[in-house]
Amino acid sequence: MSYSTTVQELIDQLGRLPGIGPKSAQRVAFHLLKAPSEDALRLSRAIIDAKERVSFCSRCFNLSEGGDECAICLDSRRETRMVCVVEDSQDIVAIERTQEFRGRYHVLQGAFSPIDGVGVEQLRVKELMSRVADEDIEEIIVATNPNLEGEATAALLVKYLKPMGVRVSRIASGLPVGGDLEYADELTLGRALEGRTVLDTGNDSQP
Amino acid sequence: MKIRSLSLTDWRSYRSAEVSFGDGLTAVVGDNGQGKTNLIESIAWISGTGSFRGASDDALIRLGADAAVIRSTIEADDGREELVEVEIPRVGRNRILINRQRATRSSELLGVVQVTVFSPDDLELVKGGPSLRRGWIDAALAAHHPRNAALRGEVERVLKQRNALLRSVHGRLDADAEFTLDVWDSKLADAGERLRTARRAMLNEMTPILATAYDAVAQQVAMVECHYESSWSGPLANALLTSRELDIRRGITTVGPHRDEIHVTIAGAPARTHASQGEQRSLALALRLAADGVVRTVGVAEPVLLLDDVFSELDPNRAAALLDALPKGQRILTTAADLPSAARPDQVIRVHNSALTLESP
Repeated sequence: MSYSTTVQELIDQLGRLPGIGPKSAQRVAFHLLKAPSEDALRLSRAIIDAKERVSFCSRCFNLSEGGDECAICLDSRRETRMVCVVEDSQDIVAIERTQEFRGRYHVLQGAFSPIDGVGVEQLRVKELMSRVADEDIEEIIVATNPNLEGEATAALLVKYLKPMGVRVSRIASGLPVGGDLEYADELTLGRALEGRTVLDTGNDSQP
Repeated sequence: MKIRSLSLTDWRSYRSAEVSFGDGLTAVVGDNGQGKTNLIESIAWISGTGSFRGASDDALIRLGADAAVIRSTIEADDGREELVEVEIPRVGRNRILINRQRATRSSELLGVVQVTVFSPDDLELVKGGPSLRRGWIDAALAAHHPRNAALRGEVERVLKQRNALLRSVHGRLDADAEFTLDVWDSKLADAGERLRTARRAMLNEMTPILATAYDAVAQQVAMVECHYESSWSGPLANALLTSRELDIRRGITTVGPHRDEIHVTIAGAPARTHASQGEQRSLALALRLAADGVVRTVGVAEPVLLLDDVFSELDPNRAAALLDALPKGQRILTTAADLPSAARPDQVIRVHNSALTLESP
């Protein structure tokens, strides 16, 4: 049995969303068909509103609502000499939750991955370079994911930024705070050992 | 470690079956097509390495059923008892529980269940292409330390990315593509060098074990040697740069650990081309014994030995020699023919139409 064109179209559209396979698309479609009209309308309105009001910040490519620049770039209290580079806007939310970073951001909109057809042209690398050239930026903090693609992206940024005379740093990876050493997986623990910090150099002997 | 009990539901040909295993040698007997291999395949599966027959998960579920379930109690080397439960559904992700705790990756099973599988297909290790021998050494490395499995995974991932990049430039390299290729080259150079170093060290450790195992199975002193032939010399970073033009033209990476070869020689002659059928069979068994031996000597674990129908191909002398050469501990073998006369099983399980009955040995 096949569905009517309208229902099939709904299933097809839902199936194009990330993380939703044909079965889930079917389930969501039937849920929507059974739901009260106002629920379905509210969802469709939310999608339309978001698409109309939300755009990408012209400076950092974070999500920006109702304006050219995003709220963080417009915030005059933020440190403008430090820029944290992330893969996606969601990463900004995670870093903002820490309340440890008061600088600005730059969203690459992805990570370097030839398999997925993502190269330098698809990432906002050139835009980052013009920011470094135009703005008074002292340090770029690369906060891409600690996986292969994220590391490759970090290495790529270093290559592009090298001639520009800006300090480039990488966020550390290691053990979760409040965790137990014995429960850490080998790779994380290995990385934590590699990135250890000196507590005492042992060289400052008293006279 | 030891497999204490095993229960199967809708696994392969089994609707429902339960069996417990003793300490020593267990013989699984029965005619062809009754479910002997299916039984030990389930044990191999819960060691986290997938099907040794290369089957997809879908093929593991009994026809008409929605999910296959394996449940097994394991006795670790230190005497602790562990419970492994696996559900392989037709739709959705596999569920793996270790001591009722959800495991996120199937590789977590590696830490609980270790097996060494001997199968007639092992002959391909000797006669087949180099990728099988690379797989053989990489599996030994992974059993040695999970870090090696991660390293191998990293090399594969970098290669996929680099090859995708090479194909996307269509034979022509602009400045941006050159920059990005530099990045993947340095990743590959780093991981590739580390993998080669690890493989060479592992091969050095395994070669004497392999030679001894071969002599034991073949019942002669034959001088088996291994030689690791790398696809590059000097730093890999330089080799990648040298082959860059060729790589771009062909759209693949032509040097690296994925192009290395392991040569095995018997008395100086390449086993792949010069050894007799019998010698090749003995060598195949010895390769498995060596991989098993190295896991034992580094003291990670005592694997359970699973021998799938290997005796049908061996003459009685070699069969007896193999049984003799097997490390003690839990051994489970299947056979359609009569047991080799040298085998003194502690337990006999008869398989008929995917039903299991214990017989007195």
